[in-house]
Amino acid sequence: MAATLTPGTLKGVKPATATRPVEKRWERLAPYGYVAPFYVLFLVFGLFPLLFTFYVALFDWNPIGDKTFVGLANFQQLAADPRFWNALKNTFSIWIISTAPQLLIALVLAQVLNSALLRFATFFRMAMLLPYITSVAATAIVFAQLFNRDFGLLNWVIGGLGFEHVDFMSTPVGSHLLVSTMVVWRWFGYNTLLYLAALQAVPRDLYEAAAMDGAGPVKQFFHITLPSLRPVIVFTVIMSTIGGLQIFTEPLLLSNGTLTCGTARQCQTLSLFLYEQGFGSFKFGYGSAIGVALFAIIVVVALVNFLLSSRLGKKG
Amino acid sequence: MTTPALNPFLSRRRALALGGLAGGVALTASACSSGSSGSGDPNTFEFWSFTGINQKADVESYKKLAPDVTVKLTEVGNAQETAQGLTTALAGGKVPDLVLIQAGDLPKFMKNPGNFTDLATLGADQVEDDYVDWVMAQATAKSGEIVGIPTDVGGMGVAYRTDLFAAAGLPTNRDEVSALWPTWEEFIATGQRYTQASGSAFIDNAATTVFLQAVSQGTEQYYSADGEVVYDTNPVVKDSFDLGLKAIAAGITAKLESFSDGWNAGMAKGTFAAVAAPSWMLGSIRSAAPETEGKWDIATIPGGSGNWGGSYLAIPARAGNPKAAWAYISKMQSPEQQLQHFIESGSLPTTPVNYDKPELVDHTDPFFGDAPTGKIFTQAVLGLKPFLNGEYNTEISTELLNALNGVEGDGAPAAAAWDTAVKGIKTAIGA
Repeated sequence: MAATLTPGTLKGVKPATATRPVEKRWERLAPYGYVAPFYVLFLVFGLFPLLFTFYVALFDWNPIGDKTFVGLANFQQLAADPRFWNALKNTFSIWIISTAPQLLIALVLAQVLNSALLRFATFFRMAMLLPYITSVAATAIVFAQLFNRDFGLLNWVIGGLGFEHVDFMSTPVGSHLLVSTMVVWRWFGYNTLLYLAALQAVPRDLYEAAAMDGAGPVKQFFHITLPSLRPVIVFTVIMSTIGGLQIFTEPLLLSNGTLTCGTARQCQTLSLFLYEQGFGSFKFGYGSAIGVALFAIIVVVALVNFLLSSRLGKKG
Repeated sequence: MTTPALNPFLSRRRALALGGLAGGVALTASACSSGSSGSGDPNTFEFWSFTGINQKADVESYKKLAPDVTVKLTEVGNAQETAQGLTTALAGGKVPDLVLIQAGDLPKFMKNPGNFTDLATLGADQVEDDYVDWVMAQATAKSGEIVGIPTDVGGMGVAYRTDLFAAAGLPTNRDEVSALWPTWEEFIATGQRYTQASGSAFIDNAATTVFLQAVSQGTEQYYSADGEVVYDTNPVVKDSFDLGLKAIAAGITAKLESFSDGWNAGMAKGTFAAVAAPSWMLGSIRSAAPETEGKWDIATIPGGSGNWGGSYLAIPARAGNPKAAWAYISKMQSPEQQLQHFIESGSLPTTPVNYDKPELVDHTDPFFGDAPTGKIFTQAVLGLKPFLNGEYNTEISTELLNALNGVEGDGAPAAAAWDTAVKGIKTAIGA
């Protein structure tokens, strides 16, 4: 332990790195200048679009024509729109069946990668990032081909085993599974590395002490690992919530680029529905109302997730 | 030189372009408009087109006609994406000087003609009589502004595989084949004969090859002549829809959505033997299955004439260099150049003066068994009484096609399909 300096010990001694008294005005303002770019960018690209979306949602707004103030009519229409509830259901379904396995896989893999017994650990850690750095479009092409109804590898196997070919994109369950598989594939490595970094920061002596006290691996996991990982788990859960609820590219590309994602909108997510209305049907106001609803949903779900995941590993 | 007017399907390549869009429409729009068209250089202008229709070839030939002009061509995405990109640009981004809009998307833009330069002010009023009157009328606003100049129309036909027809014991001569199906019922019956003999599918899918063709042959489609929404009362729509259902029930379709990967692959493998083919589709077939050269021929469409698709060139009102863009339009869409374009690409001209020229009437296409494509497609358009395209044509069409595809591919009950479509349309357009 380093000696703690108390104010008393400083008496009469001039600190070696004394700061000059701030005199000039610009010197006091300079720090604000240094951090300003972030806030300016946030205002222009973050806050302004957000507020503008709220504003547009109050109008019947043709982007290249007239706009009429309609108040909350867009939201009333949204509440009564079966397409909205369908998209909401799809979004949640895809989000849940992609996020849960993805974080569990990441948690297990991080343990494996952190093991002292693992050889070529650096290679495996690097490999984790490969799916993440591959472009979504490229991944989508590969997945679409793997799962293709007529010529896909998977259906070739299924057909070889004597079963009927499965058209994954034609049913809600199939398409949600397919989209989720792709999301899991893309993000598990990213989360694994986050968990791994957090695991490596856990002091070894905690485990040694626990082992001395007779705690087995399972007890160690629940009483040391999980509580140590809690901040990063909260972070990944929030990020996956935001990403998962905004999912757009994967369903779009897997369904051959149709904004409805299937003949019965079976995999149309909220983002796709927003895009369809705003840019396909030129209903900016209605599209913005969907955006506002999506924003509210994400805030609520993220909050709930934060509360749940921050209790993780705490003694309840 | 166009893509399907009401195309809800995209090819992989188009999907990729859309993936780019996913990154942010504003970003795409600004990236596409980073040219210098607004800088005032009178010899440079920016041109947005869609993919898959080879506008590059036109731009190349323009270089020979006007060597000092630089055309900055951007293929934004498929036709729908290009229209979406244009919407964003018109709403506040940087606009191109010239843009290609497909016929199905045009009505949405026609609602606010103020977004576009009235081409009459640049001289279009001098040449408007050169074009097919009803095609021109669709690009003329109620208040008289000329928004676009038509580049081509999609006269209809049926492309079929002579080798597969022969193997199934059907005639292969195009006149005999045309005689097999004067009506859509007989077309479906022929399909059943083919499927029974060969054991494989007759057409790619019922939604585009049967329903969309049949519904495009009426004098009234989803809107009445005075602009009322009539899709649910117009018997043509319901009858065409039922024809689609009938084709599905007959088991003659390959369940492959047009322009999908499976469709491209199926074309090459001979998974289906016939496909609806407006003039611009010939290019799609050629690029999807180049190894099938010479195995195709073209017969007339059941029901005689009809039109599917077509495109227009327009100049946004805020274009930096409208004069150069108009010079391009007036040069490249002159009757002589449209004829030239037909000879090179097969898209049918919109200039009737060409319709009896020997270069067009006697033109044959070796890829399609030396079929006289000019003659076939001209006849399809000449007998045509056009219908009005309304603001929500695309939405209505998408719901109807989706309902049919749902029955065909996803096993939705056929009896409920029409109600599903009507319900979907009512939600989509509120009428």
